[in-house]
Amino acid sequence: MRVKTPQGEIVDLMTINLGPSHPATHGTLRLFAALDGETIAAAVGEMGYLHRGFEKMVEQGTYQQVLPFTDRLNYCSAMMNNIAFCKAVERMFGVELPERAVTLRVILLELSRMIDHLVCNGANLVDLGALTNFWYFFNPRERVYQIWERLCGARLTNTVTRIGGMYRDTYPGFEQDVLAVVKVIEDAVTEVLGLIERNRIFIDRTRDIGTVGAAEAISAGWTGPCLRAAGVDRDLRKDEPYYGYETYEFETVLGTTGDTFDRIMVRMYEIRESAKIVRQAVARLKPGPVNTADARLSLPSRNQVYHDMEALINSFKLIYEGVRPPAGECYDAIEAANGELGFLIVSDGGTNPYRIKVRAPCFTQWSHYPGMLTGSMVADVASSLGSINIIAGELDR
Amino acid sequence: MSAAADTACPAIQAGLTAEAILALLAPLGGAKDPADRWGLTVIVPREQLRAAMQLLRDGETTRFDLCLDVAGIDYLGYPDWRGPRFAVSYPLKSTVFRHRVTIKVQVDEDDASVPSLHDVWSSCDWAERETWDQYGIVFAGHPNLKRLLNHHEFVGHPLRKDYPCQKRQKLSVNDPMVDQLQAKLRALGYEILEQPAVTPGMPLTQKEIAK
Repeated sequence: MRVKTPQGEIVDLMTINLGPSHPATHGTLRLFAALDGETIAAAVGEMGYLHRGFEKMVEQGTYQQVLPFTDRLNYCSAMMNNIAFCKAVERMFGVELPERAVTLRVILLELSRMIDHLVCNGANLVDLGALTNFWYFFNPRERVYQIWERLCGARLTNTVTRIGGMYRDTYPGFEQDVLAVVKVIEDAVTEVLGLIERNRIFIDRTRDIGTVGAAEAISAGWTGPCLRAAGVDRDLRKDEPYYGYETYEFETVLGTTGDTFDRIMVRMYEIRESAKIVRQAVARLKPGPVNTADARLSLPSRNQVYHDMEALINSFKLIYEGVRPPAGECYDAIEAANGELGFLIVSDGGTNPYRIKVRAPCFTQWSHYPGMLTGSMVADVASSLGSINIIAGELDR
Repeated sequence: MSAAADTACPAIQAGLTAEAILALLAPLGGAKDPADRWGLTVIVPREQLRAAMQLLRDGETTRFDLCLDVAGIDYLGYPDWRGPRFAVSYPLKSTVFRHRVTIKVQVDEDDASVPSLHDVWSSCDWAERETWDQYGIVFAGHPNLKRLLNHHEFVGHPLRKDYPCQKRQKLSVNDPMVDQLQAKLRALGYEILEQPAVTPGMPLTQKEIAK
C-alpha cells in the first residue's frame, strides 16, 4: 500500500495479519497491521473468534446453571469467576456467608490470582525467549491444580462455589497443602526474578516498550495490574473491600511508567502479596459451615429432606426451579487477576436470569491494544500482548 | 517497583453520597432508577446523556474517569414492563473518589439511537460497537460502528429477546479490515496513494450452504 507519511515521504507499507491463529497470541485474536520497515505504522484488532454467546446462553437456564459457564470466562483462574458471579447474586439476596466460606473464598481467590499471574508471566517470558522461566512457573501451578483436583474433582473448570456458599468443605490436609504450595510458588518467583530482574536482554526488550501512561490507561478503562503498572494505586481489595480484605495485611504493587517491564513486575510482586494473604487466611480458617442457612439458597441436609415435608419441598423447589433473586438490577465486581471483573445482573424475580452482562477486564485492554502498538516494532508485538494478559474466553464470552 | 506508601498516587478519597450525585444530575433530568436497590442507577434522558457524562467525568467532586462498560438491556417480555423497550447502562467509577454510579438511558424500539461517548472515554469505542452488534442500538456519531463479537455477515442482533437462541447462520468470508486500517492511517496523518489489491476469501459454495 503506497502512502505519503505525515513527514511527506512516499513509502510502500506492507500489510500483515497476526493471527487469528498465531502461537504468540495465546488464543484466537487477530491483529492487522501496516508496517513501515519493522515499525508498525498503524494496526487494527479484531475479536470474536471465541464468541460462544455466553450472555445468550445464560438467559436460557437457571442461576445455578450459569456457574459452569463462568468457569469458561477466564479459564486461567476459573474460581475467581465462580466467586465473582456468586458474590453478585448473593448481594441481590442480601445474605451473609458463614465465616469459613468467606475465608475459604479468600484463599481460593488469592491462589487463583497467583496461578493466573504465573501463567501470564510464564507465557510472556516464553514470547521473549526466556523458556526456562516457563518451567519454573508451570511446576508450582501444577501443584495448585492438584489441590483443585482434591478439592472439587476438576482441574481447570472448577465450579467450586455455589450461590450461598461452597460446593463442599475442604479435604483433610488442605491447609498443609496450601501452605506448602505457597512456599513453592514463592521460591519459583524468587528464582525467576533472579533470572530476569537484572537481565540486560530482558530489560532491553521490555523497558519503555508498549508504554501506556496513567491518563491513557484510565481513559481506555483499564483496571487491575495493567492500571497499577501505570502508577495508579487502585485495587478493589483496598478501595472497596469485600470478604474482609481490609483486615488482611498486604500492599498494592505499583509500577511507574506503565511499560511491559512494569506490567510483568507488578504481577511478579503481586504473587508475593497474595502469598501473604493466603498465609493469614489459612491461620484464620476455623471449622464451621460453608453454606448459608438461608433456605432461599441452600439445600437442606439429606436427613431433613427424608424426615421433614417442608425441607423436602424446599429441596425440590431449589433443584427443579432454582433460586429466585428479587427483581431489579445489580452491578457487583471483584478484583480479579486481570482487573475488575463485574457482573451486571437484571432479574425479573424469576428463576432464570433476565440479563447478565459480564464486565471482563480483558475487553478494555484488548480494545486499546492496537492503538498502543502505533510506532512500536514488530518484535515487540508479542511481548506487549502477553503483558496485558488477554484471555480469549473472557474477551469474547 | 515500589510499595504503595512511597509513590505519588494519593490514597482514595471519600466520595459523594447517592443523594449528592442525584442532586447533581437532577437539573439534567436525572432520576433514580428504583430497579437498582443495591447501588445507585440514575436514568438520564437521552438528550442530556453527553452533558451528564461530561459533568460526571470532569466535575471536581465527581471525577468519574473510568467508564467500565456499556451494557444493553432488552425489556421485551419483562413482567409488567411499561417503559421503552431498550436501555443502555454505563457503570462508572472514579480513580480519585470512592463512589460508583450507573447511568442508564432508555431507548424506544422505533428510534433506537444513543449519542456516542467514544470521545469522552476511549473505552466506550469498542463497548458501543459490542452493544450495537448485540442489540442493534445505534450510537450516533460513532466513527466505526461495526460488529465486534459476531461475524460481519451476521444478520440480526442476537441478544434481543426475539432472536431465537437456536437460530443458525452460515457465515463465510473474513472481514479484510483494510478500510479500518486505512481510516486509522488517515487519522495518523498518512495519505493513501494506492489501494492495495485485496483478495477476498472464498465464499461458501451453494453445495456447502445446502449442507
